[in-house]
Amino acid sequence: MADAKKPRAAFAPWDRRELPGSFTVEETAKRVGHYKWVEMRLFEALGGWVPTVPELDVKMRLGTHTYHHAWHADLWNKRLPELREMNPERLTAPANDHIVEFFEAMTEPEAPEQTIEKLVGVYRVLIPAKIAAYTYHLNNTSTITDAPTIRSIKFILHDEYEDWTNGEMLLQSLIETDDEIERAAAQQIRLEKILLKAGGIVGPGSLGGESQASAETVGAPA
Amino acid sequence: MKKHNDVTSLARDSRFERLSLEDQFSDPRNAVMVGRTGGTGMRRRLDPARPGSPDRARSLMHGIFTGEIQALEGAGRTCFDFEVGTGDDEVPFELKLDMARQCWDEARHCEISVKLGEWMGTEIGEFAETTVLFEAACNPDPVLRLTGVNRALEGLAIDVFNTMREFGAETGDPLLHFCEDWMLADEVTHVKMGSDWLRRLTEKDPERRSRALEFQRVVDKLFSGAGFRGEEEDSTIRLARRFRELAGFSTDEIDEISELSRQSRDEARARIAQRALTEAS
Ligand SMILES: [Fe+2]
Repeated sequence: MADAKKPRAAFAPWDRRELPGSFTVEETAKRVGHYKWVEMRLFEALGGWVPTVPELDVKMRLGTHTYHHAWHADLWNKRLPELREMNPERLTAPANDHIVEFFEAMTEPEAPEQTIEKLVGVYRVLIPAKIAAYTYHLNNTSTITDAPTIRSIKFILHDEYEDWTNGEMLLQSLIETDDEIERAAAQQIRLEKILLKAGGIVGPGSLGGESQASAETVGAPA
Repeated sequence: MKKHNDVTSLARDSRFERLSLEDQFSDPRNAVMVGRTGGTGMRRRLDPARPGSPDRARSLMHGIFTGEIQALEGAGRTCFDFEVGTGDDEVPFELKLDMARQCWDEARHCEISVKLGEWMGTEIGEFAETTVLFEAACNPDPVLRLTGVNRALEGLAIDVFNTMREFGAETGDPLLHFCEDWMLADEVTHVKMGSDWLRRLTEKDPERRSRALEFQRVVDKLFSGAGFRGEEEDSTIRLARRFRELAGFSTDEIDEISELSRQSRDEARARIAQRALTEAS
């Protein structure tokens, strides 16, 4: 470092972060409230299932994953007041009635013989949908103004990928017959159909698309 | 999935055998030990110098393992059974987060116990499982549930882990000592959670607090059975005063548990003496 006083650019040449993003503060808060609702329903379901699962390895994994999603819910709970939502409970809500229906259907399997159905709902339907919605958010929010949300999403996605792999491997090791393949597929189809009606974990616009078209990139120079 | 399950919902694979607490306490093998030792049967210090101690340690380790499974199951159900709110059948959001964290901790304890069991030469299912812990975790009042599980049973876990940690040191088993020390740290955290939530949730409801403490007393007494846990020199599980203090127990509360244990032990002795008299006549 030859000259400490030499002016340098505020943004280094490799730092390509930009101001524009697809979400206003209000839209972000709403989305974050939906995330928190989903994470809560998920960690409650995993915890509730723990006693109902006879497979010891699955039981212990569900216990570990319960904490992951509770931590995600906590991250979003803390983010809400930072987005001017001083009553986090107000926005802790499902995106629509179909997402409520989805969780009801996902948590319906209770019997000890239904571990496959339980795991399919979480690891073949819900978690892939969460990864999609979080990744969409990550790739479309302002990389400068919304850095705290990005940081949380990155931590969360790390968990989601790992849990997804874990859950899928458990499923592959549990499914041993044609009948079990069909059971897994039937549960997946049933839940995917409800999730389609919901439009994704945060409703239509979970992955942008039409309903997100109205929210054109905010802050882009005209 | 329905809220508020009972103990029949516990799903296990074919290796596990369930036993009621009464069956365990009235196991005639324990009575034989009573006669032989002239003391309180199985309820005596885990002394490495005694020939049966490795088997007793393995049995205790298996009991820890099944207890960890139920602790995991109980914490999981507490995440699920109660909605967020301020009613008596509701809980704060942060309490649910604590229970989720406990799920992770108990899952690790299960993992540790499985590995330690293998290390000590035990197979899963080699000893029977009692379900008292989960039964306490089915209490419909979240405060009573947390007091019974996190203060009474996790409190017992503090005493057990401390005893096993010392047993590891005495027998020159560094892995046992190492693992029990780590689990002890987690249990202190869980008991402290119980103490903190009891205080916070019953701040303005002394009647509910006394009901919760009464429930804790019942559970504590159950596990002090025949001096199993106490402060006497030959108690199987020694009351770990220092760690209980870290977890939010007052000296008076620890004294009370010690007294409960002493009473329970005296009652057991009286029963044994009575039985001996009856048999002799
Ligand atoms: Fe534990």
